[in-house]
Amino acid sequence: MKRAAALFAALVMLITAQSCASSEKTADFFAMDTYMSIKAYGGGDAVERAETLVFELERKLSATDGASEISAVNSAGSAKVSQETAELVTSALSLCELSGGALDISVYPVTRAWGFTTGDYRVPQEAELEELLRLVDYTKVTVSGDTVTLGEGMLIDLGAVAKGYAGDRVTELLRSSGVKSALINLGGNVQCLGRKPDGSRWKIGVQDPSGSGYVGVIEAEDEAVVTSGGYERYFELDGKTYWHIIDPSDGRPADSGIISVTVVGASGLACDGVSTALFVIGKEKASELWRENGGFEVVFVTESGEIIITEGLSGRFTPSGGREVSEVIRRNEN
Amino acid sequence: MKTKTLVIIISAVLAISLAASAILYFGGERKTAEIYVDGELLRSIDLAAVTETQTFTVETEEGANVIEVERGRIRVSDADCPDRVCVRSGWLSEGDIPIVCLPHGLVIRLSSGGEVDSVSR
Repeated sequence: MKRAAALFAALVMLITAQSCASSEKTADFFAMDTYMSIKAYGGGDAVERAETLVFELERKLSATDGASEISAVNSAGSAKVSQETAELVTSALSLCELSGGALDISVYPVTRAWGFTTGDYRVPQEAELEELLRLVDYTKVTVSGDTVTLGEGMLIDLGAVAKGYAGDRVTELLRSSGVKSALINLGGNVQCLGRKPDGSRWKIGVQDPSGSGYVGVIEAEDEAVVTSGGYERYFELDGKTYWHIIDPSDGRPADSGIISVTVVGASGLACDGVSTALFVIGKEKASELWRENGGFEVVFVTESGEIIITEGLSGRFTPSGGREVSEVIRRNEN
Repeated sequence: MKTKTLVIIISAVLAISLAASAILYFGGERKTAEIYVDGELLRSIDLAAVTETQTFTVETEEGANVIEVERGRIRVSDADCPDRVCVRSGWLSEGDIPIVCLPHGLVIRLSSGGEVDSVSR
């Protein structure tokens, strides 16, 4: 009987071990002022290390944390930072340039005046905005070696690219730890590594900007799916809605007729910055920018609820709940 | 006797694991809501099994969230957090967008995922 019991125990252990070997590891946590979730198949303690990495990045990059490297730059006007931060600022500046300034990491004084950094929301006076807009000009941010220097009185914030960059770094860490399949969601920025364990592509919903479901589903592998929407952070005053994505040209919440932009591409960093820029410039200019630059695809949702996609998503974007794609933007305008 | 016992035990174990796999594969309407506070699973509720509306309060160090459960859905009906984003999120009944109360570190999500793996927002 003893032997039978031992055999039984061995069998149970075998079954348990088998289910563990193929099981997923997840980490759910709050960082960068949002909810994050990392799910990976295999890779030992990679998920724990990825979580630690996100917290490290937050400590370096947060503009609201007085001890961060970005705060050091903001308070002194010029400061030596880590090589990583210097490289990220350089990458962010090239995205600002690519977008013709629709993305501007130096719009922070304006964003702050609206209260989006603290939650003490207010509508600044026109004169105040004009004054602050003089401080907004990413071309006056320079990176020399590991030193970041700002123009007089300027402030920068990497909020529009930090989560995307963190997504790239987490993906790299998981991949180099031998993970073949992982799904990362950093506050709504989704990044997929490989395909699902069953070999099919990941199904990524695109949040309905005016409801609780999603407007459609994108099939993705080895890429980032990043959405910028007005619904993420906003306040209402006297019946008007003011959201957190500020148009650097007038210092007011972007008003381009688009209420959500989802960008799909290999780099989380680029998708993050580009989605913000496209939200600001609206559909027409966004289409031009997309034609001039390859490497990413887009889903727009307009104020009137229309869904517009770029042609690279044809066949792998499926609208949900009886919705339809109203327009497909093509590379060749004819 | 020993051989017989072994055969019975092995068959029993195989039967149990087969049954478990079948339940996992063909479980159908399994819909479980999980309530997390600071990443720790506090409570999980089988929404399909809820027969009448229930209300309970989750107290954290940061404050309180009143949670309401009905058959197939769950929501935060009241909270003393400053932004009340959790309350405005409304009912959670499908999809994998969790209800999140950032100030209190509270997350409510469905464990059975639904038709998408994650949601970009």
